[in-house]
Amino acid sequence: MRRLALVLVNDVRRHLKAPVAILIFIALPLIMTGLIGIIFGPQAEEGRLPPITVLLVDNDKSLVSKLLLGAFDADEMKKMFQVTVTDETEAGKRMGKGKASATIVIPKGFTLDLLDAKPVTLLVVKNPAEQFLPDVVEEFVNTLGVMLSGGVQAFAPEARGIRAILDKPVAAIPWDALGPELGQAQKKVVAAVKYLDPLLIRLKAEETKAAGAKAQLSRTDIFSVILPGMAIMFLLFIVQTLMRDLLSEREDGKLRRMMTTPLRPLELIGARLVGGWAMGLAVLLVMVAFGSLVLRAAWGPFGYFLILGAVAAFWTAAFFALFHALVRNRNQAGALGAPIILAFSLFGGSMMNPEVMPKAFRAVGILTPNRWFIDGAALVRDGRFPLLSLAVLLASGLVLLALAVPALRRRTSV
Amino acid sequence: MGRTRRILHIAGNDLRIMVGDKVFFFWTLAFPVLFIILFGILFKAGDNAPPVAELTVVNLDQGRWGAYFVDKIKAPGITIIPAEAEPAAYSRLLILPADFSAKIEARRDQALAFKKRADASTKAAARVETRLYQAIARTISELVLYGEGDLTKFLDGHPELRELIVVKSQFPANTVTVVPSGYDHSIPGTTIQFIMMMVMIYGGISVMEDRKKGILGRMLFSPLSTGELFRAKLLGRWLMGLLQAFMLFAIGKIFFRLNLGSVPLALLVIAVFALAMAALSVFIGSVFTKEDLIIGMSVLLANIFAALGGCWWPSEIVPPGVRVVARISPAYWAMDALHRLTFFHGGFSDILPQTGVLLALAAVLTVVAGKSFRIRD
Repeated sequence: MRRLALVLVNDVRRHLKAPVAILIFIALPLIMTGLIGIIFGPQAEEGRLPPITVLLVDNDKSLVSKLLLGAFDADEMKKMFQVTVTDETEAGKRMGKGKASATIVIPKGFTLDLLDAKPVTLLVVKNPAEQFLPDVVEEFVNTLGVMLSGGVQAFAPEARGIRAILDKPVAAIPWDALGPELGQAQKKVVAAVKYLDPLLIRLKAEETKAAGAKAQLSRTDIFSVILPGMAIMFLLFIVQTLMRDLLSEREDGKLRRMMTTPLRPLELIGARLVGGWAMGLAVLLVMVAFGSLVLRAAWGPFGYFLILGAVAAFWTAAFFALFHALVRNRNQAGALGAPIILAFSLFGGSMMNPEVMPKAFRAVGILTPNRWFIDGAALVRDGRFPLLSLAVLLASGLVLLALAVPALRRRTSV
Repeated sequence: MGRTRRILHIAGNDLRIMVGDKVFFFWTLAFPVLFIILFGILFKAGDNAPPVAELTVVNLDQGRWGAYFVDKIKAPGITIIPAEAEPAAYSRLLILPADFSAKIEARRDQALAFKKRADASTKAAARVETRLYQAIARTISELVLYGEGDLTKFLDGHPELRELIVVKSQFPANTVTVVPSGYDHSIPGTTIQFIMMMVMIYGGISVMEDRKKGILGRMLFSPLSTGELFRAKLLGRWLMGLLQAFMLFAIGKIFFRLNLGSVPLALLVIAVFALAMAALSVFIGSVFTKEDLIIGMSVLLANIFAALGGCWWPSEIVPPGVRVVARISPAYWAMDALHRLTFFHGGFSDILPQTGVLLALAAVLTVVAGKSFRIRD
């Protein structure tokens, strides 16, 4: 036992002497989480989407087109859209360079046709390189279209009057005769106000979560959701690096020399396994500490998380013990290790939310430690004990350990 | 053997060694293709978008207006799922209260509860929400038009609201004619990301190992100068990036009907980008002495560049500040150039600024890598 402890302490000292690679792997999940959180985290006042750049070509330059333009001037709309009024040539040039999400083209004669109750077409030219924002513009214009259609039909006689006015020179307009017309329009406006102010039917939208309602994910929530997935991915990388000694010592002859001392193979294997586990757990706790301090990530009850982290680090150490017992040399370990970790991470949900993955990918994910760790961390975050995740990781870790120890003993015997 | 042939010989040999490694195909082909499929499915756009957005409606209304309003919501892209009470599982939920009709008939305003699951599709939620606003606009417009008298008799018969404004959408002239598929977005992004990872990791480690094992030193016994050796190493890594891009684009064309616009120009962009990455890999391999350090540094740089450069998600959804910072990423310039070719059918002049930036970067990195290139530790 003393010899095991000596090897373990020596290993830790050795790795602490050259910590840059490990530090990079500790920094990576924090940087990646920070980056994703900054990009996708809700911004306090700006809403969830950046302002949508819209070009507006007004070929009509008349009453209704001005009304349409005015719709983009409302405070809420200003936050959502950045509208630039321009001509068709300039809009074409800018759209050709992908400088806007969409161009709205109001055709010539739009107002007159609409006042004549003739069908009119609004054109939305969409940026083909964008996948989401142009559709938002199109739907917004659709909604405006419905409202304008309603408005024009509600005030059809008045619209016809305005139509007649628009056709005549100012001097020819019978201003005196407009009194009764305006009075009629006023009655309609008053009647309409009953439905419009306040709006007769409104939507009260809220975001909910499956288990208990929650208004909206904050940026800290996003960090808390992403960081466990990143942490387990880079824990795998770190433990793989730490446990590569099992191979390198065999290859460069150190193992042969170590076995001439009273050290038994089982003690050496034990030291490597405990080392991988303890250093893995330590690294995970460093990530947790930095995540909490820098990103304000929430982990839930620390005791539960510590148990989950300890079991995940144990699984990782047992896995790489078996892995290094099976591969032939360092090149093979280097070549296979990273792909295995990345496959675990891809299918297990470290790289994306498993809920948006195809079913087949999710099914494969169950076979990865990432999935169980991420699910367990989510439960801990909600204050619950991650019993199933712990059971799966512990049981499969013990199986890996049972397979790894005899295989390593065979490789360690000289 | 002439100088050029010697350089080509060493570069070709480096490439042959890499291609001979079975794991090379995992990194260059199998894993990127997995990424392409997954992100292609996630990035589905336009006609490939989820065909219908679900809306669960709990209509508790005791009058006739509830059913009338639900009818107004109906649209080809929306499936309405009726429910008697708020279910445990739903993506989006609309609740029409028991007094929905009574309030309308009394001309009293009301707010309808619309709940969206935070983890459900944002795009589908936006589609449903817009449709709800349109239904409200239609209903209120009809009320303004024809709702002067007793509203309890309103639904017995009134003219339908005519939709006078038709909205037509199209792409700009001389660009794409069909909606780009998710793969048109995911293949260029994945290709750029994996060229960075692969060239930096594989290229960097092999330069470092050749130096540590003394292979570079022994090569100088042949009629080769240090400069020629550097050029050969640079060329080998550049060819590796090109080969990877060629394979991924070929798979994209054959299996995913990838639209690249002009293929020769896309390859030109990739060639300049791969040259910058090849120089970076030689630099990393010359400066660092440990494999783990090279892997860590390469993964760090490649991931940051990919995330900033728009390889993982559409840059349109990124905050404006991040879009400005993204310009430090070589991936940003390559992706921007590929977007111009793919989505705007751009020509050489359209990608000149981006290619110029990448070429300048490649030149700077080549000079830096050349200065750092060492034969022995």
